Order: sequence, then structure tokens, then C-alpha cells
Amino acid sequence: MNVVMNATLRKKEVPPAFLSLAARSLSGGASSSEASLKSGAADSLKKKKNEKIKYFKVYRWDPEQQQRPYLSTYPVDLNDCGPMILDALIKIKNEQDPTLTFRRSCREGICGSCAMNINGVNTLACLSYIEDEDAKKATKIYPLPHMYVVKDLVPDMGNFYEQYRSIEPWLQPAEEKKEGQAEFLQSRQDRAKLDGMYECILCACCSTACPSYWWNADKYLGPAVLMQAYRWIEDSRDGKTKQRLAELDDAFKLYRCHTIMNCTKVCPKHLNPGKAIAQIKKKLAH
Amino acid sequence: MKQTGRPVSPHVSIYAFPIAAISSITNRVTGIMLAFGAAGLGSIEIVAGPGSALSLMQTIGSQGFFIAAPAKFAVSFPLVYHYAGACRHFAWDYFPDYLTNPDTEKSSYALMGGAATVSGIMMFL
Repeated sequence: MNVVMNATLRKKEVPPAFLSLAARSLSGGASSSEASLKSGAADSLKKKKNEKIKYFKVYRWDPEQQQRPYLSTYPVDLNDCGPMILDALIKIKNEQDPTLTFRRSCREGICGSCAMNINGVNTLACLSYIEDEDAKKATKIYPLPHMYVVKDLVPDMGNFYEQYRSIEPWLQPAEEKKEGQAEFLQSRQDRAKLDGMYECILCACCSTACPSYWWNADKYLGPAVLMQAYRWIEDSRDGKTKQRLAELDDAFKLYRCHTIMNCTKVCPKHLNPGKAIAQIKKKLAH
Repeated sequence: MKQTGRPVSPHVSIYAFPIAAISSITNRVTGIMLAFGAAGLGSIEIVAGPGSALSLMQTIGSQGFFIAAPAKFAVSFPLVYHYAGACRHFAWDYFPDYLTNPDTEKSSYALMGGAATVSGIMMFL
């Protein structure tokens, strides 16, 4: 992988933020002003002003350029940035590199758009705090692992959505609604069985953390989709339980799971797909 | 990748594997080691006649502590680890409620530590 340091290009052109800071701090004295501004002034400024620079190494790939993927390094002043990784990414895009491409929407951990691999762990960028204790260690940001990359941090989610569609994630009741019937009723205990599964935001952090899904993404459904399959299997209002279970009963769809448990470790909504999969296997065993 | 022209995002090279994942791949690796070991034992028996595998092991075992002990560890660790790992899988299959983050982390450390300890003791037997 080529490592191109975009930051080295930027040392010659000091960003506007630094220049204005420098102007303010040097306004009183007659120091070696302009010359020091142009040559590595960022270092001397760091000691003068209260600046906390953190470096972000971000995976980049441009489909329009015939180049291999590379890492871009960006310095960010944490004193002038929100606490989350997504804040840093937006700040980089606004102030340093408008071509940096990533998905985002709600910024509060409910839409699942900003799912990416931060320091080796799949999470939502909007919920992931910037580690500012060790400012010397650069933060590494990669797209979700083993996915086709559309551009920079944007993976192709098509296969994932197709797999979700394939489990028929909608209510299929045993009987049609009777005359005047409003809802399909369900006891509190039966509704409680869905807790911990209905909250899934389909961010794909779990599935893309699973090594089995890395090697068999075409045929293995992955933890996210399997947990949703179980959500519909467990729904007492649904009448297609037997068929739903039978659909999963082949060598690949369910049984590529080897209980590696990367999925549960990584879920940003603190759900447990690994356990749900084990419960499907148990149901199929009877 | 050839059809779409798109690269595949990095995976093994960048992922921070938790201890549970390490314990899982170790289970697979020890399984492969056991498979080769069993095949090796079998082929020795076939090639060099019955009882030859046993006499080979006895010869290695009597070479003094610094050869016998590591050899014993190298044989017992895969066996103990893989067996204990299988017991853990059995427990997970029948009691899925054990599949929580703290429990799997604890069981992974226990599995690695326990197998190493038991094999360590076996070095001296």
C-alpha cells in the first residue's frame, strides 16, 4: 500500500487557522515574524498557544485515479474540535481536504451511516471518542473490513442489504386479519423476547467484524442478518417460523458461524448477535 | 475485485482481534496440529512397523529434561487446549446464555491459562 503524506505538502501552505493564531500571538513583539511563519512555524506555535495536535491516518482511495489505496495523515487541533471521531472527520473535510469522503447522517448513533474501523475496532464514528490522552499516537481510520470500497471510507453495502432482504424481514401471520381486527395481539412476555434484537440499526459493524463473513460474504448471511432472522423467528405473531428456520438449514447460511464472538464485542448498540445465532442453532437441533 | 475494479478494504492486517477471537483461531490451529500429529504417528506405524511410534516417543522422552520437557509440552498443549476448547463449544451450544462479552473474555483467558498450566505440569511427568 502506498503511503502518501498529504500533510507534507501542506507544511508550505500554513492553514489559515494557524496564521490568524500566529498574528495574534506575535502582535505585541517585534520577533522574527514573517520568516518563522513560513518555515515549520506550527511547532513553535504549539509551544506558544495551547494547541493539542492529534494526527489522523485515514484510508483513501479514488476510483477516478488509477492508483492503489493509501493513507492520508491529517493534523487536527483537539482544542478546536468536538469530542467524537466524526467531529474530527468533518473538521478535516471542512478545513483541510474537501475530497475526504464518508457516510454520515444523524451524528447520534442511531442511523448507522458512519460505521467504520477506528483503531482496529468497528464502531460508529459519531459515538467513538477521540483518544486525547496519548496525543502522540495517531488514530487510524479504515473502512469496514473486507468490503468492496466505493471511495475512501465508503463501502459497498449492496450484498449486505440483499442478504437482509433474503430473510423476508416482515410479519407473515398465520391467518388473515379477521373482520374488524386492528392489531395482531401479543403478550408482554412474547414482546419481551424481541428486546435486544429489534433495536438493530443495520450498521454492519458486527458482520464486517466476523472473519467467517470476510471469507464467505457471498454465502454466509453474517450476524446482523441472522439476528434479524431470529427476530422474526421469535415473533409470536409470525406464522412462518418453521419455514424461516428451514431456510437457514444449509451448510453456509447459518453454519459458517464458529462462535468467534467478534460480533457481540463490537456492536455499537450493545446487542448480542452471537447469542441469537447460538439460539437459532439450538432451535434447529431439535 | 477484477469485475468491479474496486479494492477490498483491509481486514486481518488492520483489525484489533479481541482475546475471544484469538482463542478461537488457536482452537483451529491446535486442531490442525493434532491432525498432522495423528497422521504422522500413523505413518510412522505403517512405515516402520507396529510399536515403532511408541519406541520413538520413548527415545525422545529419555533424552534428558531439556529435550523431553519441550517435546512433552509440544504434544500436550494442542491436545489439552483443543479438548478444553471443544468443551467450551459444547457449553456454548447447550447454554447460549454464557455468550456474553465478559463471560467469553473470561473463558478465553481461562482456556489459554488453563491449557498452558496443565501442559506445563505434564512437562514434568
